[in-house]
Amino acid sequence: MLNTRELESRWLKYKIKSYIPHTIITLSSVIIIAVISVFFTFDEENQTPLIAVNKTIEPKPKQGIAIEITKETQENKTKTTNEALSYKEPTPQKAIATDKNSLTLTPSLGFIKNMQHSNIPYYTHESPKQEKKILTQEPVEEVQDLTVRESNQGIQKEAQEEVQKITINRRNIVDDIQHIIKRFKKNNNPALSLFVAKKYYELGDYHKAYNYALITNQINSEIDASWIVFAKSLVKLNEKNMAIKTLKEYIKSSHSSSAQILLDEIVSGKFK
Amino acid sequence: MSTSIYINSKNVFLDTVSSKDYVQLDRVSTIYQSLKDSIKKPLKMILLYGKPGTGKSMFLTKLFNDLSSSQIVYLYQTPILDESEFYKTLAQDIFSTKYNGELNFTQFMKIVENSDIGSIPVVLLDEAQLYSDVLMEKIRLISDTRTIKFVITLHKTEKEDLVAKEHFQTRIWETIELENASSTELKIYIQKKLMKANCFDSANMFTAKSVHRIHKLTNGNYRDTNKLLYALFDIYSIYDDNNQLSTIGTTQVPIKLIEMSAIHTGLINA
Repeated sequence: MLNTRELESRWLKYKIKSYIPHTIITLSSVIIIAVISVFFTFDEENQTPLIAVNKTIEPKPKQGIAIEITKETQENKTKTTNEALSYKEPTPQKAIATDKNSLTLTPSLGFIKNMQHSNIPYYTHESPKQEKKILTQEPVEEVQDLTVRESNQGIQKEAQEEVQKITINRRNIVDDIQHIIKRFKKNNNPALSLFVAKKYYELGDYHKAYNYALITNQINSEIDASWIVFAKSLVKLNEKNMAIKTLKEYIKSSHSSSAQILLDEIVSGKFK
Repeated sequence: MSTSIYINSKNVFLDTVSSKDYVQLDRVSTIYQSLKDSIKKPLKMILLYGKPGTGKSMFLTKLFNDLSSSQIVYLYQTPILDESEFYKTLAQDIFSTKYNGELNFTQFMKIVENSDIGSIPVVLLDEAQLYSDVLMEKIRLISDTRTIKFVITLHKTEKEDLVAKEHFQTRIWETIELENASSTELKIYIQKKLMKANCFDSANMFTAKSVHRIHKLTNGNYRDTNKLLYALFDIYSIYDDNNQLSTIGTTQVPIKLIEMSAIHTGLINA
């Protein structure tokens, strides 16, 4: 007589055995799919900012942002609006620099605030690709804000709040500069030193502006904006001849049109 | 469903060679008819070959039963391996010549030449692969005299193919190959077999899915199928004895039970 219990247990063992390869295949395929999907998701995340960079590098959206900020700040009628506007006030040098996708794209101190909280990789003016990477985060938000404002009025309030935040930061501009100087000492980034030079120039501290522009030139001698700030600071420090000489030397090596314009202005006496 | 039905169903699949158990399947019937037709032709030899369990012996038995009423036919299911014994048996059965002592090939041929039996007798030899090469050569020579017609069955293996080629290639006028059943044929085979024994309930328990599983396990081999189904109904009867039928169900044969039967019969190595 058959022992059905024993037969059942043997059958159970057989079933378990037969399912093992199926289980292994299923599990391995699930793992492979998961790894592939994670890989592609990661890849897409990396690609998105690059698309945004292409959009923000164009000068037009940049101007649009400036106008937007201006409108909002006029509505708010705060003291800081003047600062914002004055910051955005286009000088010939800045306009030229914008055309060359240089550091003039750094729009506000709010951006610097973001930089403080995020580990943005080191970049120089020598490598435009690295520059693009740094510019990605802030401009993306700005472009998004623009589109949202156009489409949805309700969201404008939030955008205004953001602008207000930016203006609040600007009140502490000296503190910000100090913070950036600290960061510059840590990573020796010429973009930071140039920024500091520009800020000091705007604040009228031409001696410090001269110093930081000089430091920037020592780190990277091919940044137009740095040489321009350097020359302008020299003029302000009553070293007009020195400024002319420096610019001429720089123009010889770089053939920079923006430097040439400034040189002409200094020589003609337009820039004092 | 009572226990007796499971036992009856079990007994249906006992591995016996009886013409009563022969199941008519379309393909098998066609082959059988062609074999019967071949017998009528003036052929020296007919070779019936196939893998073990494909129904060669059943075919031969069926042929013997069908032909015995209309012509002289002799069936030797067990091979007569001794040469002298083989001649003596044939001499006695076909020519009614009782021979004491040794009978060699020359003496047997003399008996064949002097015989006057009218019609050509048909000798059916099962398991011919067991005969020695020498004896097979003698059988070929006897068939050349056209006084005896041979139908032999062989297992289809590489060696046996060689035997068939070497000894009979020029003399065999008809070769018939028997193959394993397809899944559909197997279902018909199982159900017809059960219905012949009035086990209609058992026959209805076999769905296409369950038969497909059986076919996968047995490759459509009739002998293996019989063994598997015998074990299956044995398990059913045990479950019934223990009042555990509700756990396995009686409307259709569960795959679990088929696999258990396969484990028991050794078709699954678990």
